[in-house]
Amino acid sequence: MISNSSRIIGAVEIGTGKVAVLVGEIARGRSLNIIGVGVAPARGVMKGEVVDYKAACEATHHALEMAEKRAGVRLEEVWLAQSGGHLDAFYNEASVNVKSADNTVSALDIASVCALAKEKELPAGRSRIHDIRRPFRLDGRAVPDPEHLSGRRLEVGYWITHGAESKVSDNIHVVGGYHLEVRELVLGSLASGSLLTSAEERAQGVLVIDLGKGVTDYVLYRDGHVLVTGTLPVAGEHLTNDLSIGLRVTAAQAELLKLRHGRGTVQTRDKADKVWLDGDGAFGDRQLPKMAIETIAAARTMELLEVVRQKLGAAFVPEHCGAGVILTGGTAKLPGIEEAATRVFSLNARRGESPAWVKDELKDPMFSTVLGVFQFGLRTAYEHALPVRRKPGLLSNLTKIFASS
Amino acid sequence: MKSDTTHFAEPPGRSWRTIRQEVSAPAMSRKGRQRQFLRWLKFGLISLTVGLGGWGVVMVVDSWNNDRVGLAAAVHSAPVREVTLITNGVLSQKWTKGIVALPPSISLMALDLPALRDKLMAFGQVRGAVLTRNFPDTLVVTLQERSPVARVQASEGVGLTKQLLVARDGVVYEGLNYDKALLASLPWLDGVRLVKSGGGYDPIAGMADVADLLTTAQLQAPHLYRSWLIVSLARLAEADEIMVKARDVSQIVFSRKRDYHKQVAQLDYVIDATQVLPEPNLQSVNLTFEGQVPVRLTGTPEELTAATRSEFPLHPPQRKYKRDL
Repeated sequence: MISNSSRIIGAVEIGTGKVAVLVGEIARGRSLNIIGVGVAPARGVMKGEVVDYKAACEATHHALEMAEKRAGVRLEEVWLAQSGGHLDAFYNEASVNVKSADNTVSALDIASVCALAKEKELPAGRSRIHDIRRPFRLDGRAVPDPEHLSGRRLEVGYWITHGAESKVSDNIHVVGGYHLEVRELVLGSLASGSLLTSAEERAQGVLVIDLGKGVTDYVLYRDGHVLVTGTLPVAGEHLTNDLSIGLRVTAAQAELLKLRHGRGTVQTRDKADKVWLDGDGAFGDRQLPKMAIETIAAARTMELLEVVRQKLGAAFVPEHCGAGVILTGGTAKLPGIEEAATRVFSLNARRGESPAWVKDELKDPMFSTVLGVFQFGLRTAYEHALPVRRKPGLLSNLTKIFASS
Repeated sequence: MKSDTTHFAEPPGRSWRTIRQEVSAPAMSRKGRQRQFLRWLKFGLISLTVGLGGWGVVMVVDSWNNDRVGLAAAVHSAPVREVTLITNGVLSQKWTKGIVALPPSISLMALDLPALRDKLMAFGQVRGAVLTRNFPDTLVVTLQERSPVARVQASEGVGLTKQLLVARDGVVYEGLNYDKALLASLPWLDGVRLVKSGGGYDPIAGMADVADLLTTAQLQAPHLYRSWLIVSLARLAEADEIMVKARDVSQIVFSRKRDYHKQVAQLDYVIDATQVLPEPNLQSVNLTFEGQVPVRLTGTPEELTAATRSEFPLHPPQRKYKRDL
């Protein structure tokens, strides 16, 4: 039974490997109860981008219908996870001099500096997705809310994420084809990071890497705030591809070999150790060296993680990442991948674990993004958005008129 | 880093929120088109309902302003053909029809129910009245009647009196349709002053206590109750005493502060005990004391002393016999 004070929201992730839909009941704006799940193999999506609209619609709508049936409700709006190689981001900051004579920061100063920091022009054909605010700095010291504090110079920076308008539109229209409204768009990396990290870990500094089938999303937190987000068009599919080429097998066989014998680091020492290709004893089945499989998979995994590190660049400082590296996504299920990450980042790495409130059936890493969409959506108003301020009333407007005359 | 400014423009560049989300019908899946149709249907039905509701309100307001008679007549009602009475007492349908006195061919909707109710309530025997229109042509009258506790004699000019009834709530009224034997069994009320008020009398205070006493006697000792002739409230207000004159005892004094069950039982005992006397003439029994019951007998002191010395039993005869058995 759905209570009157609750709101039904769907979370949708249109990934390269699968489409996941969750139906959640949000009670009193804060507590979440997952009441329906729908998963369908993705079609028409490559590297997180829709390349075949009809096929993508078919898969997505199937998952939506399944989730609605299981929840016993009809969705009207969804929060959509956004990923893909087209995503990009940059940092922009601004500063203002505090205007009042006694150097007390007012709401106008805050609004002014925030507007300036977000004012940066985007290239043509790009759409903003998130403007993620970093802490305010008042005369150089970091403050969560500078209003009513004293200082001369107020600064703030925004991590502005954006994507190709056409690609974002395609994603939204796939959902729109089911006659649903996209209420929020959430970066996949932020969603996973939001779910798998605690406030303490974010304060210590933590790197979350979501290794999917077509893309790898990552987010780096420092001092409790998002420092860098990013998406790479390289992920588990490339491991499969490398195995297919290296071992001269089909993509489907390579995928099976990856799932059965792939590893993030090489463990096998005996070159003569072999495994069956299909393992069904059928005609044409043959044996392959296990060490070769591990070597190819481990090399590609290390390379993938190295690319993430390179993309992070100077922002990644191991000393400022006390909570280590958290790996999630379907490819993170590869055995030994934590060791590979530890070697690359010189930090303690582990697989992400969903919080205790997540049901066992949803604890699989493949649900971390879609679950995180809910988590981020519920939290975002409190951590990333500018505090809601009252609009000036009649009295303050009158005061302004008299003051200016 | 930007320089200081008071510019408040929205961030330039398109946000994903500016992307048009609507998808043309050919780009929708079958399920999407079905959902869209259902949504339109829902919207249409809601609009229709709201429209009809609004139209209804407009029509009612218009009728109220321009044609109130028409508004009343809009309800399907016929002239009243039947008045149905439901009562917990003795009043009859004939009496009810006489009181409400409906004009011939009056419509059920045209009845002024509050006025009719006032007419019914003006008769003291009626404690409550509910009038209901039972469409198309029946008026249902539901009455709650008072029950008489005692009788009282009221003066009607020189030398004329009439018998009135008093209910538990003290209301004095002319009883109608009561059984004569029932009325004859009611004790008379004394020691009260009837004060005229409007067409009737003011309610008598303290009748609840009297009703409790009489009910207790009626249930616990009906043989005693039957012999009670007059109940006096003369000393009720000042001494909390109810005095009863019975056929064989001139004065029985009850206290409203004591349990009536106990007092009636004591009276029964005293009367039983005096039955064995040669001339069991009780003059008065005072039941107002907790521990003892002063009794006054008729006769000279010598006769009484002699009688009690020889015959006065410790227990009433009936109980003695039972114990001997």
